[in-house]
Amino acid sequence: MAIDQPKNKDAVDTMVEVRNITKYFGDLKVLKGIDFKVKRGEVVCIIGPSGSGKSTMLRCLNQLERITDGEIYIEGELMDQRKNDKTINHIDADRLQQLRCDLGMVFQNFNLFPHLNVIENVTVAPITVLKANKEKITKRGLELLDMVGLKDRAYEYPVRLSGGQQQRVAIARALAMNPKIMLFDEPTSALDPELVGDVLATMRQLADDGMTMIIVTHEIGFAREVADRVIFMDDGVICEEGTPDEVINHPKEERTRSFLKKIL
Amino acid sequence: MLTSTQGWAIFHGSILTVEIALVAVFFGVILGIIVALGRISKNKIANALSWFYVWFFRGTPLLLQLFMVYFAVPIIYLNVTGSTLVIDPMLCAFVTFSLNSTAYMAEIIRAAIESIPEGQMEAAKALGMSYHQAMRKIIIPQTFKRLVAPLGNELIMLLKDTSLVSTIALFDVLRTVKTMASSTGNWVYYLYAAAIYLFLTTVLQVIFDKLEKRFGAYEKR
Repeated sequence: MAIDQPKNKDAVDTMVEVRNITKYFGDLKVLKGIDFKVKRGEVVCIIGPSGSGKSTMLRCLNQLERITDGEIYIEGELMDQRKNDKTINHIDADRLQQLRCDLGMVFQNFNLFPHLNVIENVTVAPITVLKANKEKITKRGLELLDMVGLKDRAYEYPVRLSGGQQQRVAIARALAMNPKIMLFDEPTSALDPELVGDVLATMRQLADDGMTMIIVTHEIGFAREVADRVIFMDDGVICEEGTPDEVINHPKEERTRSFLKKIL
Repeated sequence: MLTSTQGWAIFHGSILTVEIALVAVFFGVILGIIVALGRISKNKIANALSWFYVWFFRGTPLLLQLFMVYFAVPIIYLNVTGSTLVIDPMLCAFVTFSLNSTAYMAEIIRAAIESIPEGQMEAAKALGMSYHQAMRKIIIPQTFKRLVAPLGNELIMLLKDTSLVSTIALFDVLRTVKTMASSTGNWVYYLYAAAIYLFLTTVLQVIFDKLEKRFGAYEKR
């Protein structure tokens, strides 16, 4: 496994860097030039109205959507560079695979694999992709399930779990790949209100453990409490960013203010 | 009543019927997966080839396909090489029924794959799996439950369609009883054939009902 050493201190500290990303869906320009950096251990919450491009932006990071233009760096290493929907800089396929494994993702609809039980959901990717030893990874998987409070449900099928439990399994599943960065795409939006708390608690714990996290969320309270930085997106651009206090409590932009007024 | 010779003849005819159906469904599923993956592939050539395959084998009568393999292929062989080719009719039946059922299976499998929510492929990819790994570990296993019912249906159709092999010198159960009926003038032999077909299709139905329940386990609370 070839691991390129980051070239300088700054590169080590910048986990994700995005330069001038645009994204078209057909003729529709969803992202209109986005730049940002995320530092190691930083928790960044992205808020904004629906259709503002938050989720698309997140999905571009791990290439579930391909950017139209721009560059994406992971730990200072180029992961994607495209112009007019064409890849300019082709990354070695194995290396790209590893970079993608560095990014764990949690979806709004959990997307657990219904034909596998909970522990198999957690271990299938490490076994398939990383060729992990089944016994070892099962042990590790059970630890992760313990961490999210679901060790006793390890041998049940996802359909028997509540939404909140499914989402916590999804978090454990992503963590089993030992990602360096966790992406959350509205992780609590599909949950009944009384189930949101457990998922947020798990995420808070991850943040406390020093995980670098990018979270698209509507949970303003959570963002205020856990985020190091809040990014407000509207209409495909970053409108405003700063500490939770700056963006949520004292927004400078009118668009931010009117959005917050609507949802708070 | 049946003499023991007649009984054995009907038995052998039934075995032949079942054999062809099983071989066809076995190869049909395996080749059908390949053709189905071609149908949903982004590769234009794979896509066009598999489209053409399904278009041809679904769009022409099975009987015609049987004739082409059994009668036309030896003639083409003779014209091209100048030597004669004798095809074993049984082999011919295996090949034709397999090719034909591949087309139907491919469509069944394609529909099943396309019915799996997109989020499953996305989750697999987000976990670092390649398309190939995601298909093998995540998507295709989930189609099994959805395949059971149409697969059972296809197998029952196939079992009955095997009666077409009587046209290429094979004695399946239907041809066997027809010979007996016309040589004795007794229509009751047809009832024996009907009973055998019904018995076989009922067995299939019971098996597939069971399979459906079993594969459905993880989707029930």
